[in-house]
Amino acid sequence: MNPDFSNPAFWHRLHFAFTMIYHYLFPQLTMGLAWFIVFWKWKALRTGEERYAQAARFWAKIFGLNFAVGVVTGIPMEFQFGTNWAQFTKYSGEVIGQTLAMEGMFAFFLESAMIGALVWGEKRLGPRTHFLVAVGVAVGSWLSASFILTTNAFMQHPVGYAIAPDGSLQLAHIWAFLLNPWVLVQFAHNQAAALVTGSFVVTALGAFYALGDRHRDQARLYLQCGTIVGLAASFLVAFPTGDAQAKMVARYQEVSLAAMEGRFESGPAAGIALIGQPNVRERRLDNPIELPGVLSLLAYGTFHSDVRGLGAFPEDTWPDNIELLYYSFHIMAGLGTVFIATMALAVLLLFLRRLESTRWMLWVLMLAFPFPYIANTVGWMTAELGRQPWLVYGLFRTQNGMSSVVNSGSAVFTLIGFCGIYFVLGLLFVYLVGREIFHGPEAAHD
Amino acid sequence: MIEIWYAILVFVFTTYVVLDGRNFGAGALHLIVAKSAAERRQVVAAIGPLWSWHEVWLVALGGVLFVAFPRFLATAFSGFYLAVFLVLWSLILRGISLEIGGHIDNRLWQGFWDFVFTVSNILLAVLFGTALGNEARGVSLDSNGEFHLAFFTDFQVGGHTGLLDWYTISMGLFTLVILAAHGATYLTLKTEGAVHERSEWLTRRLWVGVCAGLVLITIETWFVRPEFFNNMLHRPLAWLAVLTVLAGGAAIFTGIRSRMEFRAFAGSCVIIVGLLVAGAVSIFPVILRSTLDPEHSLTVYNSSASRESLAVAIVWWPIALILASCYFVFISRRYRGKVKPSTDTQGYY
Repeated sequence: MNPDFSNPAFWHRLHFAFTMIYHYLFPQLTMGLAWFIVFWKWKALRTGEERYAQAARFWAKIFGLNFAVGVVTGIPMEFQFGTNWAQFTKYSGEVIGQTLAMEGMFAFFLESAMIGALVWGEKRLGPRTHFLVAVGVAVGSWLSASFILTTNAFMQHPVGYAIAPDGSLQLAHIWAFLLNPWVLVQFAHNQAAALVTGSFVVTALGAFYALGDRHRDQARLYLQCGTIVGLAASFLVAFPTGDAQAKMVARYQEVSLAAMEGRFESGPAAGIALIGQPNVRERRLDNPIELPGVLSLLAYGTFHSDVRGLGAFPEDTWPDNIELLYYSFHIMAGLGTVFIATMALAVLLLFLRRLESTRWMLWVLMLAFPFPYIANTVGWMTAELGRQPWLVYGLFRTQNGMSSVVNSGSAVFTLIGFCGIYFVLGLLFVYLVGREIFHGPEAAHD
Repeated sequence: MIEIWYAILVFVFTTYVVLDGRNFGAGALHLIVAKSAAERRQVVAAIGPLWSWHEVWLVALGGVLFVAFPRFLATAFSGFYLAVFLVLWSLILRGISLEIGGHIDNRLWQGFWDFVFTVSNILLAVLFGTALGNEARGVSLDSNGEFHLAFFTDFQVGGHTGLLDWYTISMGLFTLVILAAHGATYLTLKTEGAVHERSEWLTRRLWVGVCAGLVLITIETWFVRPEFFNNMLHRPLAWLAVLTVLAGGAAIFTGIRSRMEFRAFAGSCVIIVGLLVAGAVSIFPVILRSTLDPEHSLTVYNSSASRESLAVAIVWWPIALILASCYFVFISRRYRGKVKPSTDTQGYY
């Protein structure tokens, strides 16, 4: 299916997708990094070793820059519900407004109070308070994620609502809404993925310093912590969280599962395609190389289960960009597998005490850090494209959610504006982070 | 219940204006009160590491609108589409210039970001003032309960209005003056040295400007929205708010004369609270007036969420507010006292 440029909904979706994807490049790192900083501050407090304090101090600077860009790109997101998706806001505002408001009240106040003190307040606050501040920032960032994911989970799998006389949604059961089975799985999956990004970045910098023979002590610490956490997190992303997420999709979004796999025909013993291109017009998967029975296993727990294909569902409930959905899902799953293999090898070398001398592995680890960003992005594209054509799954179509008074031109204009500002922001970010990295970690000075 | 949420809305908005308004004001005067690089850093330090905590009140405001008045949020934000994005972009520039302006010890780098900082703060003050002007004047809400605002139409205040007209522009300028006065009063309290002297000089003159502007705005509002003062006369809460404004004025006057800087700043906060509360009480229950037909106006009653949703949110919201205040006290206690001209380039003393 081709995107329909004359439909304002296309531009509003692109607008949200662009600002969202750009924004999420920053929180995925800070959410992962936050716990590294907490861990190092805790070790510094317990052992008094300077290398831990130094690592925490250095990463707090990187964290601060990421956090700043995350905040300034995140604030527009909340207001875009009102500006670009006014009908959706009217329809579901009093349900999803709860979690969006909770995020501001419970998470942002905590994070924003602590962040300045974390980055600049080490001397002023003293070690114990400064450690508490680091914990506050970490907790705040994860709380923030939990509220946003609850909002998204409602859109993926609405629960706890009632329908008002005017057709809009009302909150009926707050606990059902907050403890949506979807969000429990999604939160675990998403946060594990954020830890993957964090650990790959920490590892990459360790590898960079090790290869350049600089800051040896710090490099060793980053490599140790980064690879061990990286292996654990990569594993958790796949199992049990990714697996549970797939089963959730199979249960509540059957048609999305079929689209993710490019599966048009129904039948038992469904395979997953390692390679293949969905051909929507001919309704088949071109050039497939399949692992038979695996999709049945992943979705329903046995090799023989029946998995329905797209043909079994009315076409107006199909996701509207099956190709992109298919590729997003496959890239995510493929990268996830590669992450486990890479980190398993790195940890093996670490325990053999050969990681720092195995230069090719250091090169691999140094260059691997962009891939978790890609995996996180396509993972979210899978979730969001898979939800189409619905804004609230099964209840409210995306087409009906946009602001009726905002035309395509306005949406394109502000989209271009964001492109410009975010481009400049990206340059500044890369320059400033690069500066910190080349400067490197340093000892405390008075 | 709806009235309680209206009160919460006014509370959050007022708090935001008092807190971040002081940063807008100090930022707008940044290039005037601080001449040397060290003085510029001093102003940034006086604004302090909690500026983003202040900005979160704006997010909290969005949250209250979302949960309590979703129809108002949807209508207003899509109707003010381009203006909202101008605000968001200015906020991005303001935040970035604060965060990274001091990151590199270089005159060109810092000079550039000081300039961006000043311009974005002036823009924000004027834009928020213009928004208030639009709120007071009303917009061209049609029978579908929607509107779409051009930047300007004929600069008149009735019928198919634009974002800018003579009334909203004067509100924008007045807001710039009063927030600058608020910021200057704060800098007088929080700094020492040359910045302190210049801020004190400005404080005296800006508050005179505020008095003149307030008279002008009052007369203008009389023309634009006659029922405003009629409502005010019949609502004791509005009288109380007006008294608060007078008390704040007295505190500023005596505070400046006797150099009791804290009293002056407290008076400045109180004046802003009084003005906003007086306005909020007088427009109640209309939260978005239609310039086409009063029948189309949005009131708190026809734009609020259901009773159930409001009842749920009233349980958790105050808890969150108490927690938020605790973090604020926890951090701000550690940043008390006057700020000297700084050599620390980040400026967070």
